[in-house]
Amino acid sequence: MASSHSSSHTEAAKMEQVITEFFYKGVLIILESRSPYVSSRNYSGEQTVSSPSSSSSSSSSVRPRDKWFNLALRECPSALESLDLCRQSNFETVVVDVILEQKPLDWEPVTFSPKRDLVRNLSSKDKNSFCWNFDQEESGSETKSEKIIERWLVQHESRKGRDCSSGSRRSSSNNLSTLYKKSILLLRSLYVTVRLLPAYKIFRDLNSSGQIRAIKLVPRVSSFVEPFTRKEEAEMQRFWFTPVDTSCGRLSLSVLYRSSISDISSESSTPMSPQFIPDYVGSPLADPLRRFPSLPVSHGSPSSLPFSRRHSWSYDHYKASPPLVSFSPSPTHSESRASVSNPSSRCLPPMSLSPHPPETLLAHRKNTNYDEYCPSPNFSASPSPSPSPPIHIPGSHLSKALLRSESAPVNIPAPRLATSPALSCKQNLPPSPPLKVTKAGTSKDNIGPVQTGATIEKLFSFGKEDYRKYSGVKLSSNSSPRISFSRSSSRSLQDDFDDSEFPCPFDVEDDDMTDPGSRPESYDRRGHLSDPHETGLFMNRKSQDAAVGALVRMLKKAPLRQDVSSSINFSEASRPEMWSNSVQEQNQILEAVTVEHATSSSIASSRLVASKTTSDALEELRGYRELKNLLLSEGGRSYTSANYASEAEHSSRGS
Amino acid sequence: MRTIIMNCEVCQLKELEVEHFEIREVLRCILHTIVFHRALGLVRPKDVDLELFEITYVQCGDVEVEKKIDEKIDHFISWVEKHPNKKSQICLSFYEVKSKQPSWFTNKTERLYWEQWYLNLNVTQHPKSHLGKSHHSKVVIDPGDSGASEERSSRRAAVEASLREVLFQIIKFVNEKKDHVPPISEGVIYFPYEITIPSSSDSAFGMDMIKRMLQTGHPTMLS
Repeated sequence: MASSHSSSHTEAAKMEQVITEFFYKGVLIILESRSPYVSSRNYSGEQTVSSPSSSSSSSSSVRPRDKWFNLALRECPSALESLDLCRQSNFETVVVDVILEQKPLDWEPVTFSPKRDLVRNLSSKDKNSFCWNFDQEESGSETKSEKIIERWLVQHESRKGRDCSSGSRRSSSNNLSTLYKKSILLLRSLYVTVRLLPAYKIFRDLNSSGQIRAIKLVPRVSSFVEPFTRKEEAEMQRFWFTPVDTSCGRLSLSVLYRSSISDISSESSTPMSPQFIPDYVGSPLADPLRRFPSLPVSHGSPSSLPFSRRHSWSYDHYKASPPLVSFSPSPTHSESRASVSNPSSRCLPPMSLSPHPPETLLAHRKNTNYDEYCPSPNFSASPSPSPSPPIHIPGSHLSKALLRSESAPVNIPAPRLATSPALSCKQNLPPSPPLKVTKAGTSKDNIGPVQTGATIEKLFSFGKEDYRKYSGVKLSSNSSPRISFSRSSSRSLQDDFDDSEFPCPFDVEDDDMTDPGSRPESYDRRGHLSDPHETGLFMNRKSQDAAVGALVRMLKKAPLRQDVSSSINFSEASRPEMWSNSVQEQNQILEAVTVEHATSSSIASSRLVASKTTSDALEELRGYRELKNLLLSEGGRSYTSANYASEAEHSSRGS
Repeated sequence: MRTIIMNCEVCQLKELEVEHFEIREVLRCILHTIVFHRALGLVRPKDVDLELFEITYVQCGDVEVEKKIDEKIDHFISWVEKHPNKKSQICLSFYEVKSKQPSWFTNKTERLYWEQWYLNLNVTQHPKSHLGKSHHSKVVIDPGDSGASEERSSRRAAVEASLREVLFQIIKFVNEKKDHVPPISEGVIYFPYEITIPSSSDSAFGMDMIKRMLQTGHPTMLS
């Protein structure tokens, strides 16, 4: 019994809340369609424009109060005040009088009078009524005429002599949902009705025309019904909405309205000074398309339920689906496709295409791991047009992976990178292509690759600005001479982005897996987060890769191959002229990522904690340099990649 | 798909006499107004001002609804063009989908119709109807013939008044009949509905096909 008692109590409380909200919503619907310039007609289209801050989240587009009666309306401050009035009236009666004010044409706009004057004038008969006026700008003209053209009555008529809380307890929950449904229906029809009554035409004219009218609509909320004279009443028509029964009474809604007011409004329309015209700017009538600015007409996936649609009132939905295209770490066809294959972003235009300015990208990625993609290797895919093999700093396991390929690219081992938190987590990963980073980020998977990316990003201190720059560079690199090395299977980026159908990331993975033999080095190499720049080059130039691979193998066997400082010094000291061009060029452009090149010793060594002394490294390096010189001399000036490779192989064996 | 019409509330809307060029706006206005009253999920209403009449109606703001209604109106207009000077009826039905015990030869779902709205249109062939082809001009004024324009505007006012009347008829019906409306399901914006236009129910093609099949026994039906 106790439980049922308490449940009936909560039911009663809920019922009370429904009634309260019904009052509020009902009054809001009336006010919103009778208070010019603040109505939903002006509002709905301006929503995102006028309040950019609130438009950023979907929750703000559907306010808690919107959910009441499933009717999303504009927030109306004056109506909020009216809610207080409703409270004062104890939710019994709220009267909304819509007053048509007619001013003489020679009215003086600057004679302000306290609002109370009007209130007193209107309701002087009763001191107790707490009338309340919405008018913001009151002209104190004595000659103006006022006419109540509509009187709305929102009431909760209590049944006398019956205990509300205990009444009809038997089916109270059923009652509640029925009450709610019926009040939704009632408010829907109220919403339509306020737009069909003659006063709405005045409201519409006031709102849409660029004219100052001699008339004004003033809604006035009060809790007291000031009776009409018999004559007045005779001029009005009444419309009763069917009351909705509550557990302790009924909600009723009715309107008395003047059916012949259109003549008044049209007569008194006078073009006046243009000083208020700016108020009309932004009226949805001027630009009807803006009324519903973000309907997901083409973006919404066909399967999206209607319910999800409301979220699209803000653009959040799109933000949540990262446009990953531009962050694709590899210029290969498959990876480009992979990066846009996040299902939610499938319909998005390829973001890295030039038609979409980078700003768009940035704007879209606020809440995702944008930064983590920043070090995506794309940028390095080719600032330099030279066909030289890039330098690569893999983790040690990756180097092993590279060794499987007879044409592995040069690896200048950077074990300290591998021991850094960033790359150490890579140890757990298969030598997967960098696109994994993208995937992980997309799936909000914060372990592994994403973190790697993030850390690398920190290491490289790569700003968004930089990225912007590099994405441009990357695109332009397609026209660089190196592209001539491309295999037929690797298409240009532009081609990739022209694809409207992007497979899901895993498709791409499969794609890679099914074709590992044809481009083993590309497969392997894409496992390196830290060697972004050469992915584009290497996979397309097998012969050069072979040469580099030989070098890698050689270096792998070297005792100090894991020493960063040595490798740095090595490259500084002994890199072939052929490399330096491109490397230096890259350094110029990609200052922030020079760690990867291992050629900018200063930056790298300053960032990385050296585990061995410089002298140790130098010692080792000297040995390497000798080896290198031998290699170069044997290879001769006109060495091809192939014989370079074989020589390298030979000499590495020899060593 | 079985259809069950039990406890189905029916609303016959007052017949509207419209000209061909008015069909689209009038139907949009009526159909959207009804659907808005049956869109009990969370909606952000959208006001639409008619171009031909001083009437503002409300849409529930759902693009799918808008698309479906426009498509049906297109079909209806093309039907009207093939069948001029004919009274026509459009039916907007709301139903619930009930899943059924699957068995042989029956579909797993059936439609329980709980409400039907009949829109009655009388499309008149106005002698100057070709003038009205200019859909988007609110006022079609023929300066040379003031008498004709007067008649035109009074006719338009009459259409507007009767359209308003129909809209109030809808509001009254919605107000008076609330008990048959099914409970609101979470996340569903509007109750499922279908719009039946003459061509899809008793068009010459459809009836002919059925008759032919009954007479001859279509070979594919046997297999």
